[in-house]
Amino acid sequence: MDNSPDTAAQDIARLRARDFWSALALIVLALFFLWKTLDIPLGGGNGAGVNSADWYTSAAIVPLGLFGALLVLALVLLAISIRSGGAAQALSAAGLGWSASEVWRFVAVALMLLAYIAGLVPRVDFILASALLITALIASFHGRPEPRPLLPLLAIAGAALAALTMHFPRAEWTRHGDDWVALALLVALTFWHQATGPRGTALRLTPVLAIGVPLLLICAMAFGFRQNVPNRGGLIFAKIEYGYYVHLRPIWRS
Amino acid sequence: MEFIFGQLAGFGMAFATLVSDPWTYVYLITSVFLGITFGALPGLTATLAVTILTGFFGNKIPLDYALIALLGAYVGAIYGGSYPSILLNIPGTAASAATAMDGYPLAKQGRGAEALGLTTTASFIGTLVGTAALLIFVWVLLLISKNIASPEKALLALFGILLSGTLMSADLAIKGWIAGLIGLALAMVGMDPILSEARYTFGWSYLLSGIAVVPVLMGAFAVPQIIEGMRHVRAGRVAELNGRILPNMTAMRRYLPTIGRSGVIGTGVGALPGVGEDVAGWVSYGVGKSVSEEGDSFGKGSLEGLLCSETANNACIGGALIPLLVLGIPGSPPAAALMGAFKINNVIPGPTIDPEIILRVVAIMVLASFTMFVMGLFTARIFIKVLRIPQTVFLPLVMVLTTIGSFSVGGGLNDLYLMLGVGLVAYVMNLLCYPIAPLVIGVILGGMFDETFRRSLLLSDGDLSVFVSRPGAALLLTLIIALILGQMPGAKRAIRRLKGRTT
Repeated sequence: MDNSPDTAAQDIARLRARDFWSALALIVLALFFLWKTLDIPLGGGNGAGVNSADWYTSAAIVPLGLFGALLVLALVLLAISIRSGGAAQALSAAGLGWSASEVWRFVAVALMLLAYIAGLVPRVDFILASALLITALIASFHGRPEPRPLLPLLAIAGAALAALTMHFPRAEWTRHGDDWVALALLVALTFWHQATGPRGTALRLTPVLAIGVPLLLICAMAFGFRQNVPNRGGLIFAKIEYGYYVHLRPIWRS
Repeated sequence: MEFIFGQLAGFGMAFATLVSDPWTYVYLITSVFLGITFGALPGLTATLAVTILTGFFGNKIPLDYALIALLGAYVGAIYGGSYPSILLNIPGTAASAATAMDGYPLAKQGRGAEALGLTTTASFIGTLVGTAALLIFVWVLLLISKNIASPEKALLALFGILLSGTLMSADLAIKGWIAGLIGLALAMVGMDPILSEARYTFGWSYLLSGIAVVPVLMGAFAVPQIIEGMRHVRAGRVAELNGRILPNMTAMRRYLPTIGRSGVIGTGVGALPGVGEDVAGWVSYGVGKSVSEEGDSFGKGSLEGLLCSETANNACIGGALIPLLVLGIPGSPPAAALMGAFKINNVIPGPTIDPEIILRVVAIMVLASFTMFVMGLFTARIFIKVLRIPQTVFLPLVMVLTTIGSFSVGGGLNDLYLMLGVGLVAYVMNLLCYPIAPLVIGVILGGMFDETFRRSLLLSDGDLSVFVSRPGAALLLTLIIALILGQMPGAKRAIRRLKGRTT
């Protein structure tokens, strides 16, 4: 790692350029929330049904102070950035200072997480959804000289889109059409990974980890801790739950 | 004297209760093992270990056992960070960054086993020093805190957030303050605590009950770690380990004053609100370097340097629990996760906390440090094998763990959306060098600040002098002003000039 003064100075300059943008974003944010805070009654009149409410008991007083302070600090940060040459560099500096491959890697990971949380977890069986995420992330990034996240991203995004389009309303979340799509994509992705992935223990273990870990976690959560788990009516978990309560539990209950 | 005997008797009772319960060992051994594993895996942190276990154990088992699991993981993870620091030159946790300075050169000299033996012993002694301080000072502070009223509480919360922002910021202190303010602002969402007025809910009923702490913790600490781990694949070669991992008693005796000093420094830094083990490790290392006769050899494989950082970061745990238990202000980011566990169990740390809980925490800390010591000496080879697991394999599993943990805490899918949103924001903040710890501390203390600040004004009929008329409040306000003014360029120049004259 290069720790020379020149590199440190470059890092500081890049940071100040980024500070310029973050300060502007914070100013907009602070102004927006100051404006929203004006909706909250500031004393007098009828504050939340309390006639005697005064300015100092108002629910707006602390937020006004906070967002006011945030605005001031953001302006100070903007001034620091401009004085350090951040504004001049901000317009010419290359975004966040990442290479194109790093940006692509970040976007791929972020989209995979978004597809998993927003599309798959509510609608698709948790074991299948998690297995797809684990396989996609390992297949994209583990041991390859160059990451190959495109195909895994398409697989997980495809499953999420299928879930969102086939069963968008909450009333349909227990249906299994999207589960079958996710299962098919998981099998296809696993075959692709096994065929193209780098040889080694991790490759052999990926399907075991992908299925085994979510299976263990959801069973521990549902039957060990007796907690709510995502999508109880999922393709695999519904059968496990039925088997547990109908066949297994009566054995030790009786 | 009577006070000390009383404390020891109370501690003895709590310890005996713990030791005689077989479930203690199940939770303790599992959690310390998991903690060391989390600490040893580069990319996973002590905060993450405690946060994930909060999702799993926080409200699913009785609080007594949840505390064993969480404190065991906390102690184990801070210690576990020393493995990759010494053998890979990659700190497993931020707390072990200073350990790598001397640990890795020692491993390269073929003294890795000796270094691990020393860090195991130093971590054990450090944890005990911090725990002893916790046992003594928590009561002293509890007595003082009985006189703390709303103005002091509000100013204390503000001071904690500002101090955390100042000390945890790797760049400008102002960025730490901004992060703290964002955390405070997040805590304003939902029904306000005095008039029940809805604030910033944007018509989403889930937000009426406010921002839940556990998803924020998961989002702030887990999601950025996962994205970063996948974005930058860090690979290191594990240094060869020769010989058995045993404590070097000659070195321990020789450096006993260093261990004692580092323990005190670690505890003191830990007791500062929101300042974590990494700061404790570096401060102790810096002090050690400047006062030691062997200061020149620091960074080149010095045993003393290694002991400075490792003793301090573990001593910090006990210190960090003091403000948490007495004032409800977490002393470090993992302590913030512990605070989350208290909150979801409806236990309010502070002057009214049940003394039994404090004694139990102390007893758990002692048992956890013993467990860590034994595991460190006899099962270290397992943790060295753990170092070889690539982060591209374990981070996806951590994401699934985080998801189900966050979901089951109570808020269901909405908690997951919140976790992901906070995670993406925290990741961008990390990139822009804004510290995350003040944000989390702001979320945790925001409700208390809002309520106590407005209650102070309510009781004084809007008279702002309530924040200066009481001695405690006046002192805190002075500290806050000094903290802010201390970051002004003019004040910084004056401090530098003053330092120049004294050296």
